[in-house]
Amino acid sequence: MADMDADTTAHTEPLVDEEEPLFSNLDLFLFSLIVGLVIYWFMSRKNPEPIPEFKKLDTPAPTTRETSFIEKMKKTGKNIIVFYGSQTGTGEEFANRLSKDAQRYGMKGMSADPEEYEMGELSRLSEIKNSLAIFCMATYGEGDPTDNAQDFYDWLQENDGENLSGLNYTVFALGNKTYEHYNAMGVYVDKRLEELGAMRIFDLGLGDDDGNLEEDFVSWREQFWPAVCEHFGVEALGDDSSIRQYELKEHTDLNMNKVYTGEIGRLKSFEVQKPPFDSKNPFLAAVTVNRRLNKAGNRHLMHLELDITGSKIRYESGDHVAVFPTNDSALVNKLGQILGVDLDVVISLNNLDEESNKKHPFPCPTSYRTALTHYLDITQPPRTNVLYELAQYASDPKDQETMRKMASSSPEGKARYHSWVQGASRNILAILEDMPSLKPPIDHLCELLPRLQARYYSIASSSKVHTNSISICAVVVEYETLTGRMNKGVATNWLKNKLVSDNSQKSTVPMYIRKSQFRLPFKATNPVIMIGPGTGIAPFMGFIQERGWLKEQGKEVGETVMFFGCRHKNEDYIYQEELEEAEKNGVLTQLNVAFSRDQEQKMYVQHLMKTNKEVIWKLIHSDNAHIYVCGDAKNMAKDVQTALHEIGEELGGMTRAQATDYIKKLMTKGRYSQDVWS
Amino acid sequence: MSAEKMETAAGVYDGAGPAYEGKEDALSPEDLSEVLAAGTKEVHEKAENTQFVKDFLRGRIRKELFKLGAVALYYTYTAMEEEIERNKDHPHFAPLYFPTELHRHEALARDLEYFYGPDWQSQVSCSQATQLYVDRIHQVGQEDPVLLVAHAYTRYMGDLSGGQVLRKVAQRAMKLPSTGEGLEFYQFDGIHSAKAFKQLYRSRMNELVLDMETKKRLVEEAVKAFQFNMEVFDELEVIGQTIQEDVLDAGMPVHGAMGGDVSKCPYYSAKMAASGGTAYACQLVMAVLRHPTGQVLFATWFAALAGLAAWYLM
Repeated sequence: MADMDADTTAHTEPLVDEEEPLFSNLDLFLFSLIVGLVIYWFMSRKNPEPIPEFKKLDTPAPTTRETSFIEKMKKTGKNIIVFYGSQTGTGEEFANRLSKDAQRYGMKGMSADPEEYEMGELSRLSEIKNSLAIFCMATYGEGDPTDNAQDFYDWLQENDGENLSGLNYTVFALGNKTYEHYNAMGVYVDKRLEELGAMRIFDLGLGDDDGNLEEDFVSWREQFWPAVCEHFGVEALGDDSSIRQYELKEHTDLNMNKVYTGEIGRLKSFEVQKPPFDSKNPFLAAVTVNRRLNKAGNRHLMHLELDITGSKIRYESGDHVAVFPTNDSALVNKLGQILGVDLDVVISLNNLDEESNKKHPFPCPTSYRTALTHYLDITQPPRTNVLYELAQYASDPKDQETMRKMASSSPEGKARYHSWVQGASRNILAILEDMPSLKPPIDHLCELLPRLQARYYSIASSSKVHTNSISICAVVVEYETLTGRMNKGVATNWLKNKLVSDNSQKSTVPMYIRKSQFRLPFKATNPVIMIGPGTGIAPFMGFIQERGWLKEQGKEVGETVMFFGCRHKNEDYIYQEELEEAEKNGVLTQLNVAFSRDQEQKMYVQHLMKTNKEVIWKLIHSDNAHIYVCGDAKNMAKDVQTALHEIGEELGGMTRAQATDYIKKLMTKGRYSQDVWS
Repeated sequence: MSAEKMETAAGVYDGAGPAYEGKEDALSPEDLSEVLAAGTKEVHEKAENTQFVKDFLRGRIRKELFKLGAVALYYTYTAMEEEIERNKDHPHFAPLYFPTELHRHEALARDLEYFYGPDWQSQVSCSQATQLYVDRIHQVGQEDPVLLVAHAYTRYMGDLSGGQVLRKVAQRAMKLPSTGEGLEFYQFDGIHSAKAFKQLYRSRMNELVLDMETKKRLVEEAVKAFQFNMEVFDELEVIGQTIQEDVLDAGMPVHGAMGGDVSKCPYYSAKMAASGGTAYACQLVMAVLRHPTGQVLFATWFAALAGLAAWYLM
């Protein structure tokens, strides 16, 4: 021990005395370096990926991309190719969805960026059996192609001599109506390919991003695939079963509190009402008035008043009231009978695509009866894709073929559908009755039928006068079809039957307000010209009430001119008392009524306008009058515009083109408003 | 009909004035809506052509920048809607008071909550360019309310037009949920038809009783509003560039034109392996030195070394 101590002491001492700073510095340096590197190594371990070992050192640069889509299709067994002109990804997304769809119909598709392929090969598609090129083309800027479609566009323009006779194609165009060159690119491709000899398999689809592009796409695509299958004579999957979107689950022992009985949104929202009320949470308004407006005739025009006390709902004259109607129970029962099912079974239809936001096609769990009554549209003529999907359930092969043919895009098929379904106004029940071999399962039918939509009515009252009550003016829709059946409008018949009861069981209407932009001028002194024949008078009842109220308040009110029209003075001059009263009180400074069928020659509002052209022109051109038109879109609205063009020509010294422009400008500046429906 | 009627080449007229010459003459080109549209046409084109907007329309918008844009909008609309509330009964603004249909500051607050979390108010602040815009809005609202019309026109009409296009671009570019979170600013629940509303808004603008002098001042103010907006875009563009640099500095050195992380590049490591370890080690040391953490470590190491040397020498 002592020796060692002596040794160590002896050993350390010379170290201190020795002059070898370089050595110790090197030690220090190395020590610090090691410490530093160790620290660095610990820090760098946070980095997730170590530098990978690249094994294939001898492989050259990646193989040149395949620019021949024909070769690629042949190699991968694809017969459908979907090209996309896309700037922000939507066109590409649609193309991907279409290429995936193909397999539902027993085909194989791929999507492709035209920038990456030799588009000159399009004529070679004839080398592939049952080939089809789909184009999803977006329009960009001023009617231009998207960046990735520029080369393709140039190619199309330059190659006049190209022969595309072996090419089957279809185009879906993506655009936006607010732009002047709406869907220019899609329209061009569709036309140009035809010019170059290609065969159009299905009509051009037009998608409007200003409206609902997704909806436009889905509708087009639903009708497109059946047409493709028909064209190629391809079955929608060999084993007679089509691909369902939802899976049926029958409930046997469910607490009735968990079952939907017609609510639009939250369960029990019709029992426990909570504001705010909107499209997903309607208010159950009690019906306080329901009277017939016309004195005679076989039509039924009606005036209803809905009580919104306590709902906190506010509205302005000119707004729309949305109501959620239900289907006629007799119709629902007949469907249940012909399908041979117990309608009161409680079921759920669950989406097989678990990633989809849409878990069910309508609120589930519910009974078939509730679904057919509250949630599904069973009166509109079914669309072609519904016929196509139901065809498999027709035991008679001829019926099957007929159904599929009507869904195809062949001229005969289209014509057949046009006359047999649309022309004859056949709803689903009529189709089932007239094609007895067709026996679809009710759950598949529930998957295919569209949702029952809310209906909108122009409010016929002013909130200044009727704060807690909303008026509706409507005519009941009822007509005989070519098959001798009576078709009834869903909402109007439902409203007609909402009778006022003085007992506790009040008739109620689920409703909400949709604000419109149909408004009286801000200044009461501003003249207004209102043109609203038939039920088009609805919003003007509100306007007239409001101007009357302003007058009562002592405000100065400007010219208030009304043009109304109906068939017979003694039959359907609705609101006659109210209108004549308003004229007497000076609220209506001019009341002009046309009775179309009371004399030999038809007299409509536009004829009355021409008779009063000087007054009208002065009000419009010199007095800054606002014009309002409400009612039928197809004929009346156009005829009124034409009458104004003529007045402008005659009294304003304009050419027809100038007059048309003049009216258009009035619209842009909000001095000519329309609330019209078809 | 009337004895005063005279026929001209253009057609019959009632003698009250010359024949209709052209669309510019009739329909009072002095309508405020038309005066404003014409007077801002040039500056509107300029705004559309700023780099920020052009990139945005092409789907090239980074989430960070979009969020900062939403912050700027929040301060702008809060100020504007505050001044609108103050002046809602003022004869020079009342016809344009549409709070249910137009007001955005609550929707923007919800968007900011989505982007920054429930604590968003403490995380966001008003940028310099935005503050200038906000100050002007307050000044106008308090001192010369008629000019508020110019600011409302510039923003709201834009939101209802091109603004709708921007929303779809933004949703796709940043893969925002289809349920609308983060984009509520663009969603006008109280307006069923943007086109119809714009027409109504124009008619209301034209109902304001203003002399030509005031209309001219409104045009000037609208042009100013556009310029304020462009300055905010430019500020965002500048911020955008610094964000890019930070991102790059934090990772391993930028490799290649795509700005990738060299450690992920298989060719790089192959090249290094082939040329021998020393070159690789040098590259590594250089990489470490460029990395801020590496710099810190090196500095620490150097400081420790210096400390030890000093200790030794003392």
